Amino acid sequence: MISVVRGGRLTIAVLLSLSVVACTRAGNDASTTVSDSTAALNRPLAGAPDKPVAGPQGRVPQFLVECPLSHTSYDDPIVFPNAPDASHLHAFFGNNGTNAASTYESLLAGTTNCDQPADTAAYWVPALMQGDTMITPIKSVAYYRPGEGVDPTAVQPYPPGLKIVAGDGGAEQPQNTAVVAFTCGTAIRREVLPPSCPEHRPLRMMVTFPDCWDGVNLDSDDHASHMTYSSGGACPATHPVPVAQLQFSVDYGFSGDPAGLSLSSGSMLTGHADFLNSWAQNKLVAEIGSCLHRKVVCGITSGRV
Amino acid sequence: MTKMVRFLAAATLLTLAAGCSSSTTSTGTTNASDVSTQPTQPADSATPTAGATINVPADVATIQGAVDKAKPGDLVLIQPGVYKEAVTVETENLTIRGIDRNTTILDGNFELNNGIKVVGANGVAIENLTARNYTKNGFFWTGVTGYRGSYLTAFRNGDYGIYAFLSYKGQLEHSYGAGSPDAGFYIGGCYPCDALINDVTSEYNGLGYSGTNAGGNLVIVNSIFRFNRAGVVPNSGSYELCYPERATTVVGNVVYSNNQPDTPAIDVSLLAMGNGILVAGGVNNNIERNLVFDHDKTGVGLVPFLEQDPNDAEPSQDTWDRACADTENDPAPDPSTVPAAVLWSPFNNRVIGNVLENNRVADIAVDTVDVDLSTLGNCFSGNTFKTSAPLDLEKLGPCDAAGNGGDWTAGSLNVISWLADVHPPSQDYKTSSPEPPSQTNMPDAATAPARPATDVPEKIDVAAIKVPAKPAP
Repeated sequence: MISVVRGGRLTIAVLLSLSVVACTRAGNDASTTVSDSTAALNRPLAGAPDKPVAGPQGRVPQFLVECPLSHTSYDDPIVFPNAPDASHLHAFFGNNGTNAASTYESLLAGTTNCDQPADTAAYWVPALMQGDTMITPIKSVAYYRPGEGVDPTAVQPYPPGLKIVAGDGGAEQPQNTAVVAFTCGTAIRREVLPPSCPEHRPLRMMVTFPDCWDGVNLDSDDHASHMTYSSGGACPATHPVPVAQLQFSVDYGFSGDPAGLSLSSGSMLTGHADFLNSWAQNKLVAEIGSCLHRKVVCGITSGRV
Repeated sequence: MTKMVRFLAAATLLTLAAGCSSSTTSTGTTNASDVSTQPTQPADSATPTAGATINVPADVATIQGAVDKAKPGDLVLIQPGVYKEAVTVETENLTIRGIDRNTTILDGNFELNNGIKVVGANGVAIENLTARNYTKNGFFWTGVTGYRGSYLTAFRNGDYGIYAFLSYKGQLEHSYGAGSPDAGFYIGGCYPCDALINDVTSEYNGLGYSGTNAGGNLVIVNSIFRFNRAGVVPNSGSYELCYPERATTVVGNVVYSNNQPDTPAIDVSLLAMGNGILVAGGVNNNIERNLVFDHDKTGVGLVPFLEQDPNDAEPSQDTWDRACADTENDPAPDPSTVPAAVLWSPFNNRVIGNVLENNRVADIAVDTVDVDLSTLGNCFSGNTFKTSAPLDLEKLGPCDAAGNGGDWTAGSLNVISWLADVHPPSQDYKTSSPEPPSQTNMPDAATAPARPATDVPEKIDVAAIKVPAKPAP
């Protein structure tokens, strides 16, 4: 549980870092000309978990939020803030109003389509395409867990306004499946490229976010270096604050032959996902305390969908 | 919801700094809130004290507010009304009770996830309430020791009606679950569970009862499972912890007409459709003295569950006695060593003294795939039945006696052909199930003292339970 003292410190740190971000981002907004959005994408170098997060549900404490697709657009409030239509096509989940101009404050004042009304956070992924047609996601599931081996009671809430990008939207080589992987339904397999899935366990993309924060910055110029992954159950000294390891999964209504699929960011190797923490912060704090600190599996997805 | 969120938006930084105890403020009949306060520190409550009564809405406007205010041993007593809340309970040994089961209603409005979710708080009893229209579950205990649900009604919920997960020492009784695509009643991921389901009715669900990887003094008695896709379905699978399903006792239930074509239904409930009591890859279960009739497939069927893309390999038989608490500490399976599929076969189940009629493929049956059925150790004795698959099943595999050495392949159930069956599709849980009839109230709800779930499950004389009489049509 976050104590009063810690909460106070955190708030101060957040306010400070908000102003830092506001300053450092000044040259990176609407005035930026983007000729090749893919090339301009960040290349997150945050590392990877020691191994893919997988296995029977119920093994580690977690809470989860399910959200259907909210909307799509070519906006990206982290990478191309205030530059509408500057990015590739994104599928947005959670917050109903996410757009290029979104800020922590605007998102928090908005609504969500998740089954957890306090989760007004914004989640987005590149659109899955078959030719020129977007494959509409059935739903997303955001799993919040301790990183593998991390003491659940040590996990801190994300600071309000934290921005995280996971996966490499410009990847030309296979990504580590511990970060970006495809599977069928909730199966344990973790594939670099989409497998051919049966109809009753359709394609799922899973993106695992870094779970160690530098304790200061809500974002960074490369949108990556303020975060990294834990290893061996511990966060490094450079990123000493363990936060929940978000695993964002998108279930697509797609089964069968995956040939011909692409992502709006490029080939199927370019899987990535973005998260902007605009949860109602006290509920996020409560969920971390309720489920992770007390080591309870607060929810699971049906493995039999 | 939006007002509350906006309020929170403004208040977030302040409440974070203040340690944030968010109190909900609107009336109990209209407030929509899944905003719980910070966890209450569990008290040392080995000996619960007679607690205070907190009245909703007289003392506290919302159920969540009352629950957050309550101390271990307290009673939260709720007046009739529609409460649009998703309540999280983190305080041990509470009793949460409605004054009138049929009119004290938690309503998720198809937006909120769980009606009441008890998270790691032992000994919480929930009584005499209705939960409807939740995207997940009506009533949900997870990670607790000691739970009781009595005189509960759960309908039109998106996963389960009444649900206990990774929880021990529980009792679900005098309750009603309907209209869920998964199960009306579900106990999952516990061994030994030490749990009792007694006098419940489950209908218009995908499954009447499902118990993935549950068992060990898990007793289901004196209940009605009807008008579901399938009735009572203990099952194994590696998608959740603690496999396989083991040692569930199913006695004295009326299980009928589980062929319902117009319910919401998850995938496996379609696969299981038309069966009364179906053990899907479970072991060491006791199925005795049930009345089972009017099913398109089997009355009591012991079948395999073919789990494709599993999360783990099948554990060896010599580990089937491991407690869940032990297996929870196992390292995660290595995806590269997990097979492409696991066939969970039914082993060592006992089917005794059931009365079966008009189960149109077979009254009693056992089958698996590519394994000699005579080696599975399942037995059948003393049942009243006409048809079996394979033929002469009580002679092939009687309980506590040698079989006749006959042919286990004659008259096979041919369960593999079920994979190709076409079933009526799942219906939307939001609209498909009928409004439930008025349900029996708890006696003396307004005056009975708090009774936390520290005395469950009660001992029940299973041996004294007789085959129930056929209900009036």
